[in-house]
Order: sequence, then C-alpha cells, then structure tokens
Amino acid sequence: MSLGLPGHLARDSLSRALAFAGHCAAFACLAVSISVGVIVATVGGTPGGWAGAALAAIMALALAAVARFPTVTLTVLALVIGTGIMIALTVLIMRPGGFATTNNALLAMPRIALLLVGGAGSGSLIAIVWASLGYALGEAAMFLGVALVGGVYAPNMAAAAAFGILIVVRVFDGVSRRSDARQETGLHRASQQTRELAIRHDYELRATARLHDTALSHLIAIASAGSGVVDERLRAGIRQDLGLIVGRDWAIDHAGPTTAGSPQRASTGARAGGSDVAPATASAAGTGAGAVDDTVATTGGRSRRRAAARRTSAPSSSARPDGGSAREVAAADGEPSLVQAFTAAEHAGLTVRVTGDVGVMRVLGPARAEALDAAVAQCLINVARHAGVAEAELALGLGGGEVTVAVMDSGVGFDESAVPDDRIGLRTSIRARIEQQEGTVRLWSTKGIGTTIVLTVPEGGA
Amino acid sequence: MRLTQQEADPIGAITAAPIVVIGAVLSLGTSLALTWVHRSEIVAPVAAVAAIVLVAAAGAVAAVSAAPSRAPFTAERLWLVVTLAVGAAIAEYMSTVGSNQYLYDDYGPVVIGMLILSVAPFCTWLSLALAGVLASIVLSILVVGASAYVVADAPVAALIAVNAAPVVALSAAAAGYAYAIIAETLAWQREANRAALQRDSELRAGIARSVQQSRVSVLGREVLPFLAGVMTAERISVADADRARELAEELRRALRAGIESTWLDDLAANLRVSRGVETLVDDPTGAADVLGDDQRSALTALITWLADTGRSERVSVAFSPEPEGGLIRIVADPAARPPAKRELDRFVAVARAVALGAESVSTRENVTVELRYVIE
Repeated sequence: MSLGLPGHLARDSLSRALAFAGHCAAFACLAVSISVGVIVATVGGTPGGWAGAALAAIMALALAAVARFPTVTLTVLALVIGTGIMIALTVLIMRPGGFATTNNALLAMPRIALLLVGGAGSGSLIAIVWASLGYALGEAAMFLGVALVGGVYAPNMAAAAAFGILIVVRVFDGVSRRSDARQETGLHRASQQTRELAIRHDYELRATARLHDTALSHLIAIASAGSGVVDERLRAGIRQDLGLIVGRDWAIDHAGPTTAGSPQRASTGARAGGSDVAPATASAAGTGAGAVDDTVATTGGRSRRRAAARRTSAPSSSARPDGGSAREVAAADGEPSLVQAFTAAEHAGLTVRVTGDVGVMRVLGPARAEALDAAVAQCLINVARHAGVAEAELALGLGGGEVTVAVMDSGVGFDESAVPDDRIGLRTSIRARIEQQEGTVRLWSTKGIGTTIVLTVPEGGA
Repeated sequence: MRLTQQEADPIGAITAAPIVVIGAVLSLGTSLALTWVHRSEIVAPVAAVAAIVLVAAAGAVAAVSAAPSRAPFTAERLWLVVTLAVGAAIAEYMSTVGSNQYLYDDYGPVVIGMLILSVAPFCTWLSLALAGVLASIVLSILVVGASAYVVADAPVAALIAVNAAPVVALSAAAAGYAYAIIAETLAWQREANRAALQRDSELRAGIARSVQQSRVSVLGREVLPFLAGVMTAERISVADADRARELAEELRRALRAGIESTWLDDLAANLRVSRGVETLVDDPTGAADVLGDDQRSALTALITWLADTGRSERVSVAFSPEPEGGLIRIVADPAARPPAKRELDRFVAVARAVALGAESVSTRENVTVELRYVIE
C-alpha cells in the first residue's frame, strides 16, 4: 500500500538494521570461538580450550545484553567486560609454543565481536565512534596480554579488515542518504495523492449517479412535454423527488456534521423553494431547514413534522412521550435516532408503521447510527419510488450484540439482479453504507408480493 | 518475511547499489593483496591468476546485477555470484595445494563473505544465510584437504571452524541486515496503512466541503433550481423544454464521463491546472482502475515527476490492453531541463519493484517509459 521507508525514518531504520547485522556477525564470531574452544579441549586434549569457550560465552552474554537494551551504560559495561576477556584470551592463546604473533585467527574472532558491540544511539557517526572504541580497546588488550605472558605483538589484520568493512558500510550509509532520493521520488506523496484521487472520483461518480437517478426522468418528461401547462403528475413527481434531495446533503453518503457546507446547501434549498406556490414553499423550506440543522425547526417545518408524526404511527408510545415525534425528542438530545429515515418517509408521503423501540439506536456510535439511519432512509425512498404502495413497516430490534432493522413493504417487488447498473441506490447507498460499518444487508423480494430488507450492524462503532 | 529490501523499499535498494561496486572492488583488492602476501606458497601460478579473475568476475556480476536499471535482483544472480566466488576459493586452493602453511592468509572465505554482504539489500535473509552455509560447507572440504600441510598443530574440526568464520560471520551480518530492514519497513508500512485509512475516512467526511467546484456540484446547482422552477411554474415554455433537454444531455454525459474516466484522468486534470503542463491520458477501457495501490503510486510518482514545469512540455499516457494485462506507454516531450536518465532509472526501478515490467528510452526528441502490467 505504501512503498518503502520515508526519508525521516530511513536514517534510524537503516542504522538499527546495520547494528543488528553487526550483532549477528559478532555472535557468529563468538560461536566459532566457543566451538573452537570446545573442539580443542575435547578432540585436541587441551583443557585450556574450556576456559577459552567460557570466556567467549561470557562475552556473548554481554553482547546479548547490549543488543537487547542498547543503553550507554550497558555498552560501556560490555566494552569493559570484553576488554578484560580479550586480555585473558590473549594470555591463554599466546602461551609459548603456540602462535608466533598476535596476528592470528583465534584472537581475531573475539576482537571482531568487541568492535561490533555497537550500542546506544543511532546514526553513522555514533556507530563509528563505538566501533573505534571497541577496536582500540581490543588492540590495547592484546598488547597488554602479550606483555603479561610474553610473545610477539603484531596488529591483528583480520580485526583491522573487519573494522575497515564497518567503516566503509557506515560511511556509505551516511553519505548516500544525503542525496535525498526518497524526497525527490515523492512516492509517499504520490501514494496519498492516488488514494485521494480515487476517493474523489468515486464520490463524484456516486453523486452524479444519484443526481442522474433523481432528476433525469423529470428533465426528459419536461423536454418531451414541450410547451404547455405543467402536468400535475409531473409536478407532484418533481415535488416528491426534490423533497428527497434538495437541501439535504444530497451529494454525499457520509453525512458528516453540518458545518462549512451548510450555507451553500441552505441557499440551494432557498432558491429551489423560493417560489410563489404556498405548499411547495412550505415543503421545500421545511426540508431545507431540517437538513441544515435538525434542532432548528422553523414554524413551517415544525407543523409539517407534526403532520408527519401523525402519519408515522408508532405503536411503541415510549418513542413519542409527549405527542411530538420521536425524532424531535431525539434530535433535541443529540442522541442517535432515525431522523433521516422518518424525514425521507415524510417527504415521500410514505406511512411508516414502527414495531420495536427506536431507542435501540442508542447502542450505536454516532457515525454508525448515522449510516444505518441513512440506509433505512434510502430503503424507504425505494419503497416510495418503486414499490407502488404508500405504506411500509419498520421493525427494530437489539440482540446478539447487533442492531437489526427490517424494512418491509407489500409492493410490487423486484428481481435484484434485474436492477439496472446505473440504479445505484441499493448498491451504494444501502449496501456500501452498511458494509462500511461491518454490517450486513439481506434482501428478499418476490414479484407481486413485496420486499423485505434486513439491515444488521454491530453495537458500538464510531 | 520472504521479501528483499529491493521489493519492500525500492528506493533504499537503489541507494545501496553503489555498495555492491565498493564490495566488488574491495574483494578484488583483498585477493590481490593476499595473493602477494602468500606468494611464496604458490605452486600453480595459472590457478592463482584464475582465482583472481574469478573474484573479479563474481564482483562484476554482482555489481551489474544490482544496477537499478536491471532490477529486480533475482535469486539466480545471488547463486551465480556465490558460485563464482566459491570457484575463486577452489582455484586459490589449487594454486597453493601442498604448500599452504597458513589458512589465515587465504582470501577465499573473506571474498565470499564480502560479496554476500554487499548484495544483502537485494536478497531475502534466508537465501543469504543459505548461501553462507553452502559456501562454508565447500570451504570445509577444502580445509580437510589442506590440513595435512598446515603448520598449526590443531584438530581438523577446529581448522574447519576457524576457516569458515569469515563466511559465517559476514553472511550472518548480511542475513541479519536483510531481516532487520524488512522488519523495520513492514512495521512502518503497517503504521502508514493505518494512517492512510484514517486519512481516507476523514477525507470522505470532509469531501462535500471541498468539491463545490466539481462537475457534479456545478451541475446540481443548475438542475435542481431548474426543476424547482418548473414545479412552481404554471406553464412550460419552449425555452424550458430546450433547457431540460440540454440538462438531461449534460447529466447523461457527466455520468458517462464519470463511469468512463478514472482517477488517472483526474490526476492529469490536476497537473494541467496546477503545473500548466499538458498531460493527456488515453485509457479507453479504464485500465487505470485495474492497477494495484502500489502500482498506482509508482505511476503517479512518475507522471507527477515528468509533468514538472521545465522538465517536460507535454506528457501523454496511453494504455493498450493485452490479453493478460496491458501496456502503459508514457511519452514526455522534454523542456528546458530534460529528465536525467539516472533519475528516470529510479522510477523505472520503483515500477519494477511493484510488478510493472518497465523499460525506458531517452532520445533527444522525447523520453518514453513503457510499463507492462499483468492482471492477476
């Protein structure tokens, strides 16, 4: 999903990876030292091998401590212990009759481990400082060891080579990162940008499709009617559909908090409703206001809501304690409810019978409740548009950690696979919303008998 | 964890490419220096020369294979490098056979180890570790042969262990690096993905506010008031009917354009507006939507980089579908500061890292990059 390491993390990540690589090499060296000690002691019959293996093992422990907790204290401690062990190993290995000088393979391995201790901090410079310290201490320890036991001191070439490799790698790492290739390639910016583009594109397409679904048939009807008196059926159809989308945040599925966008939408609503025919004005203005802020109800809006509440007969009287509609109470408290759904039904002229308690919506987080509400609203809109009936039933329930809402109608029914692709109401507005909230949508429809849609979402959520 | 740094962090691998050259040069230098040091032990000068040639060959193969323009570095290339290096160790053994007094001054193990270490950014930790183990086994066989003549009075097993130490230590370092850098990168990617999902949802929530100028908003602002006007009017005029036809046509067009266009068209539109560089997309089948997230990022990065004022005057992107996938051909007409080949190679390497077969050709007239994708 996102490519590689970003510039600001590359330094620390690379430094840690190189330190880890150094520790792996150090452990490998010590492991070889230990095995050589054991082999010499057992096969070679030289008891001194045991001491050598034990010393290397202690060094490995100190190294493991630094690898696990790379603090300054532990690093210094490991270097001190390592230096002591180097002196002891030099005394052990350089006994007369053995190696000619200290430039030999057996001393090289613990020496290399010592310079690879690495340690606290990250960055090439610090790593080089630690390695130099390890190298110098090892060299000094060897010198001291030879002085104690006798023998010829010579710089250990293998340790010097290892030190050289480490310097090359660390300097290369430090220098190569200065070119800032990561910044210039802009992969991370590009990754963000593509995601944003895809989201915007998807949004545009859905919004266009929704506008297309709602307005196209009316535009064609107007175009084909030619000049003349406006047909009443057309007028009613337009009124119904405008009621569904004007003033609402029609273009988006995810109805976020209404803030910056609201003046724009309010003016659209006002323009749309800014007419001279009284019922239409009341309808449009009411819708507009309702969408801008549900807690602000204009006089017109309130009266229409009451009317709607009368039609929305809720058997559960707890849902409307004072004769007002449940959603008015809920909206005033700011608690989740089915505001959008009831409003949509109201504007579509649909009577909704509710069974169950609307209060179950309270177990959902605001975004999830919003999504469920919007999906139910879309179901009711579909019933009003396509089912050919003026009544729908809504059943709410809570059980098994899930909120279930069933929307039922006894309308004409349909075949889901036969719904044309550009009718994206069901696919995007309902299914996408619910699935985004980890819920499920099940649908049964039989031609001539009716349709049942069951929406289920888990409790909680954002 | 079966990833290489080159796959997970392509830019990191491109940055690391010169270290392979350095490693190759150091290996060659080591072989020359140590051959000089133990020159008195050499019995077969031809074999000694052959060993140095093999070291040079192994280094050259490694350096060439790791070049960004030849990405990705496949496992076979690692085996070729290791085989050549082991061959060098064998030739070195032949050159001193019978008179090799000290194993300590043999360069075979060190050279193998250094070459394995220098290709660490391009291989999985497992293959690096395996390469180290197999090379050590071959070296151990040689040591058994050499042990008869060695001055040191030590058990053969100890000689084997000491002799293999450079290979074991350096390949351990290589495997450790490959393992750690992948762990670091994947950890970051998990974090970045979480952040990206978070940003996505914020973007979705805030999108309505930021698209007031978009096609659909403009259209909505025309269609809805028009319908409202008709609804409240007594009569429909001829002009109304015409306007309705116009709007219906526009709405259909918008939907079709929306369905047919992809994110890439939007990117091109953005670049045209913000950079003033003519950016054209020809994608009749909407193939841009088939690309995976990483492939999209690589393509976006490349196009955005090319379509920079001064770098290109015009960038065209053409998709041509093929049976199993398709070909994306990006042609840029260079402007005052034409894109440098070396910089372009970086994008080509990134594209290869995300499973896009990439080739670039730069001429005086234009820069062409061809990306080949496969639909899974």
